[in-house]
Amino acid sequence: MTDDYSLIPTSDSRILNSHFHLPSNPQNIVFLKTGVSMQLKIWHKMIIGITIPSLIALVGGFLTYGYINDVKNRQSFVQLADDMKEHILEVRRNEKNFLLHKDIEYYKYFQSSVSILKNSLSNISPQTVTEIGEDNFSRLRQSIQTYSGSMNDLYVQYQHETDVVEKVREDGRKLENFVAAKRSPGELSMNFILNLRRLEKNYMLFRDKGSYNALDNALMQIKNIIPFCFECMPYIEAARDLSEAYNQSDLLINDLQVNGEGLETITYKIASLERQKINSFLGRTHNLLLLALLLLCTLGPLLVYKTATYIVAPIKRLADITKKISEGDLNLRAPLKEHDETYSLAQSFNTMLDHLQLTHQSLERSLELLHEKQVEAEKRASLGFLVSGITHELNNPLNNISLTAETMKEDLNEMTLEEMKDYIQDILSQSERAKHIVGDLLEFVGTRKTTVMEKLDIVNVVEESIKLVANQLRVNNINLKTNIPNMVFFVNGNASKLEEVFVNIIVNAVHAMKDSGTLTVCVKPDNGNKNILIEISDTGCGIPEKELKNIFEPFYTTKPVGEGTGLGLSVTHSLVTKHSGDINVRSRVGEGTTFTIKLPLYEETV
Amino acid sequence: MPDKLRLMIIDDEPIVGKRLKRLLEKDGYNVEAFTGGTPALEALEKQHFDIIITDLMMGRIDGMKVLETAKNKNPDIKVIIITGFGKKETADEALNKGAFDFIIKPFKFEELHKVVKKAETELKAKDN
Repeated sequence: MTDDYSLIPTSDSRILNSHFHLPSNPQNIVFLKTGVSMQLKIWHKMIIGITIPSLIALVGGFLTYGYINDVKNRQSFVQLADDMKEHILEVRRNEKNFLLHKDIEYYKYFQSSVSILKNSLSNISPQTVTEIGEDNFSRLRQSIQTYSGSMNDLYVQYQHETDVVEKVREDGRKLENFVAAKRSPGELSMNFILNLRRLEKNYMLFRDKGSYNALDNALMQIKNIIPFCFECMPYIEAARDLSEAYNQSDLLINDLQVNGEGLETITYKIASLERQKINSFLGRTHNLLLLALLLLCTLGPLLVYKTATYIVAPIKRLADITKKISEGDLNLRAPLKEHDETYSLAQSFNTMLDHLQLTHQSLERSLELLHEKQVEAEKRASLGFLVSGITHELNNPLNNISLTAETMKEDLNEMTLEEMKDYIQDILSQSERAKHIVGDLLEFVGTRKTTVMEKLDIVNVVEESIKLVANQLRVNNINLKTNIPNMVFFVNGNASKLEEVFVNIIVNAVHAMKDSGTLTVCVKPDNGNKNILIEISDTGCGIPEKELKNIFEPFYTTKPVGEGTGLGLSVTHSLVTKHSGDINVRSRVGEGTTFTIKLPLYEETV
Repeated sequence: MPDKLRLMIIDDEPIVGKRLKRLLEKDGYNVEAFTGGTPALEALEKQHFDIIITDLMMGRIDGMKVLETAKNKNPDIKVIIITGFGKKETADEALNKGAFDFIIKPFKFEELHKVVKKAETELKAKDN
């Protein structure tokens, strides 16, 4: 929480102020500055904090589920492709059997396995076809068609080939019979024919070019031996047709095998494509799971932390402000910026504080009134004391004058001249006494004419004052100790008034010590030579604490009548104040009293 | 009882004692003046006095103390208080403690004289 405060009165506080008649000065109401505030309640914040990590987990889970589902589907496609491959292998096995045996049975097997393949193809749903790829399927269908067509052609070719083989054999036998009947020229021997027939069988058995070339050479020899052998011609023709038929069959077999391999390639391609897709899905699922896990591990704790902070922040701010308020600053108010449950808490708290402040102010006012009354009462008592003092002090000399005058009036005729002089002197001295009292009084109230101030050495004034009372100290058996520096300290003052101050205090000290004791006078500079301190201490009876506060009051005295008017210390105080100084007293009953007079040192500007 | 009444005057203002002694002696009283309460109480221990005229505010032994001591010793004694400190509360206190009268300074001798005469009359009436 920052210590930066802003002075923002809220409308709520104004309402409260007007209602409770609190001081409406908005500067009085201080609010804690708050950071960025969210307009959310605590439970909203909690839900956000919990929901976001849960959503991450949920999205990750859903996506993973989707991918796994896809993988499952693709697996069935792979199965489908594998099944087709099986069918195609079956077809090709039948193809091989047919090529080997050239039997109609195997041809039928082949056709039946092709029908099964076609059926299984047509059983695949269009959706699956779309998923796997239309192109592959149409190519597959076309290839099956072509393959099947090639097989039909081959079958027809085989039938033709059988006919040709039969014709070759028959013509061979006819040629054989012709030679055996010795109707042919002698060169065309039986051995030659038998060799020819062996070469013919070889060719039929191996169907290769070598065998054919050997047969063809033998046939060419016939032509050489008998250029126009009519009985030989059909056989030669038939042998040539056989060669053509064999070539044609080989071409068709080649086509068939190419188409069969094409079929295998397509199904293999479909299966491998689906496997690739499955691998890609698995890879993506793997990455997604990793990402979700990463987000959960990083964002999750971050969100939980942020949520906790957002929830706790307003409570913490409230706690901080309550702490500050408890330390005594009643002008502070809880911020009303939150929009969560702490708002009403802060509001109630502020209302409570308003009441508290109101009560506090009312109490302070009562205290002030009480204090004013007390001061008034003290003033009255003080005035009464002053008047009583004046009365007492003036009535005594007046009474003396009155009694003396009355006595003179009564006994005038009987009185000697000396007596009369004494009486008149009494009247004069008592008048002087009254005048002095009035003078002191005027001095105290400060209405006397201005005292002349001049630059003077205070050390000298202190020493002169001590000389004035030296005799009194001796008579009263009082030991004097001084601690006065052998230096000159100038003050702006009036020597006789300052002497009056010091003498007054010393005389009081002498009275306090009665017949024995020690008076200590100490002069020392203070506060970096700005002031001078004069300390006058006695080892007298001391002043009780309750009386200390009154000793500078006029007419306050503990001395017997005649020993003091009660104006001494009040006049002393008044004189020190006139010198821009200060007088302090500390005392312990039974140990003594110390008066400290502080006077400002002379400055040229004064 | 001797013919002349014995009067004691106590005041820490010596002039008061001197002037009153002269005036009262002329009226035929036997007068002794004391400055302060201490010597007065000492004298009161040893001698008989009929009337005491005492100031009130006098250092350690004040008029009130003198009044109490004198009344304890001799309840018939007449104590007249003279004071420059004219507060009603003080006067009431003194009268409650048995003071005969309370006179405020400055006073005319005639005033005191009347009070002393009255006290004398009362004393004589009691004797008779």
